[in-house]
Amino acid sequence: MNNITLHNTLPAVFAGREDTGSEIWLRDVTFERGKKYLISAESGTGKSSLCSYIYGYRIDYSGTFAFDGRDIKQLSVAEWCKVRSHHIAYLAQEMRLFPELTAMENIMLKNSITNFKTRDEIVAMMERLGIVEKVDSLVAKMSIGQQQRVAIIRTLCQPCDFIMLDEPVSHLDETNNRIVAEMVTAEAERQGAGIISTSVGNNVKINVDKEFKL
Amino acid sequence: MSKKDNKNNTNHSSRALMWKLLRKHISPSQLIGFSLASLVGLTIVILAVQFHQDVRPLFNDEDSFLRKDYLIITREVSTASTVLMANNEFSEDDIVDIEAQPWCRQVGKFSSNDYSLEATISVSGRGMRTMMFFESLPDEFLDISDRQWKFDPNNPKIPVIISRDYLTLYNFGFAPSQGLPQASEMAVSKAVDLQFTLRGNGQAQTFEGTLVGFSSRLNTIVVPEDFMKWSNEQFGSGIGRNPSRLIVEVNSPGDERIGNYFADHGYQVAGDKMQQSKAQGFLNIIVSIVIIVGVIISILAFFILMLSIYLLLQKNTKKLQDLLVLGYSPDQVSRTYINMVIYINCAVLVVSVILMLLMRAYYMPMLKAMDVHGGSIILALIVAVVIMALISLGNILAIKRKVKALWIQSS
Repeated sequence: MNNITLHNTLPAVFAGREDTGSEIWLRDVTFERGKKYLISAESGTGKSSLCSYIYGYRIDYSGTFAFDGRDIKQLSVAEWCKVRSHHIAYLAQEMRLFPELTAMENIMLKNSITNFKTRDEIVAMMERLGIVEKVDSLVAKMSIGQQQRVAIIRTLCQPCDFIMLDEPVSHLDETNNRIVAEMVTAEAERQGAGIISTSVGNNVKINVDKEFKL
Repeated sequence: MSKKDNKNNTNHSSRALMWKLLRKHISPSQLIGFSLASLVGLTIVILAVQFHQDVRPLFNDEDSFLRKDYLIITREVSTASTVLMANNEFSEDDIVDIEAQPWCRQVGKFSSNDYSLEATISVSGRGMRTMMFFESLPDEFLDISDRQWKFDPNNPKIPVIISRDYLTLYNFGFAPSQGLPQASEMAVSKAVDLQFTLRGNGQAQTFEGTLVGFSSRLNTIVVPEDFMKWSNEQFGSGIGRNPSRLIVEVNSPGDERIGNYFADHGYQVAGDKMQQSKAQGFLNIIVSIVIIVGVIISILAFFILMLSIYLLLQKNTKKLQDLLVLGYSPDQVSRTYINMVIYINCAVLVVSVILMLLMRAYYMPMLKAMDVHGGSIILALIVAVVIMALISLGNILAIKRKVKALWIQSS
């Protein structure tokens, strides 16, 4: 997948609005593989909606999203599974971790369908983010900040053309923000992937090619 | 770090993780409830099917010696006919008239012995002596090999077929009251010694008899026609008599016109199958009712499982959706629950078949005493597998449909 294009898109809840003042909604936008984007937004402007449309689990919008020019509404279930496991790595704002599983089990749940990272690589990432002692802890017993780091590592456990991060560092301190930025950038560069990151203020410290205001 | 590595050697295969994740909210009591209900329903159904298979031979009017489309008829014996000493024989005209009927293919006459006959029946030394009679019918009506059904005056041995009623009478009347063991057909054929003494024309001769078999439709003692001819010439008075019994081959035994014709002429079909078919009809009704009850229980069980699964999927909706967002396909997500359903249903199937076989082992000795050796269990097994396959299929489709419905999430 080389690009994600948006043509005249608008969440259904905003229907009827002429000019949203947004650089995304009701515009033609292209995200290219290999480039880094930041979408800064205020709360309630449809940031998480945008991510869920691109990830195919919500369709309450007008306009067209396309992967390499193909309308994503035409994708089959099997094609979406492929997109989610091999083309777009996604970190949801709500993280979508499973509290009854341990940190490692949560990560392995993703990695076992992609077989992308070795266990050692995962442990190394956890160590870098300072949560290695939590490897066998239940996610339910971890702090939000720790959970966010587990979710970030899980996101990186797959081959991809784009890494889409919805408020990845909202609960992280400066140091961890920097480490996450380095890890994500390094992973993206290794794979030649693009990065689309959203933020309501606490931006992940990535040097972006383009910033959109939502 | 390596310490952690060694410590954490749990199985991280996605299937094990999925099970760990999705088994939450599974209600053991609901599943046990389903399993028991399903077990009861299925066992009732297949036990009824099996019982029907096992008991059916009791009512089976098929006779190895006589084809189905042969009817044996006699004149009705009424009080009036006894008083008037009316003739119970069939005249030539009667026979010609029957032959002329559209439903009739051919008519055969029974001939009987025209001499005095005494039989000695002995079982392991104990014997009894009785006056007796023979009848014969044309060989072409009997389904029996020529080798068995032949009489040679130079090597005289009389093959006989006797009515199964005699054996039943012995097994269920005589033997229990005398403390004698019940006997199967095979055992009787081997153990019984038969001797017949024929007297007439100033001569007497004793012959050995061989019991060729039992017939449930020939309620008489049948000998080969060539023996009858020979013995009547040797010992008989020579006065020809009309037959009192006829065997009629018909196109279709169920034909209404046949019954009407017989009723109009006062003829009776011997070995009347009416009672038998009534009993069989009764058996069929009872078995059908039992099967319907079993099926209803199975259907209710099916809905218990459906509800349980719906509830489970409802409670785990968020988890299932998170797995889908993670890149798992709806099929992969469904598989955990589908496997669970299949395991449960297979267990129910196996236990149900075992229960059926146990109960069958309980009633079979009673049937064996009646010389019924039971039917095949294949039909019951097929029914069990088909029912469980249908239930599983319904469950699987429901699970798939429900999981698929989770694909698109609402905002």
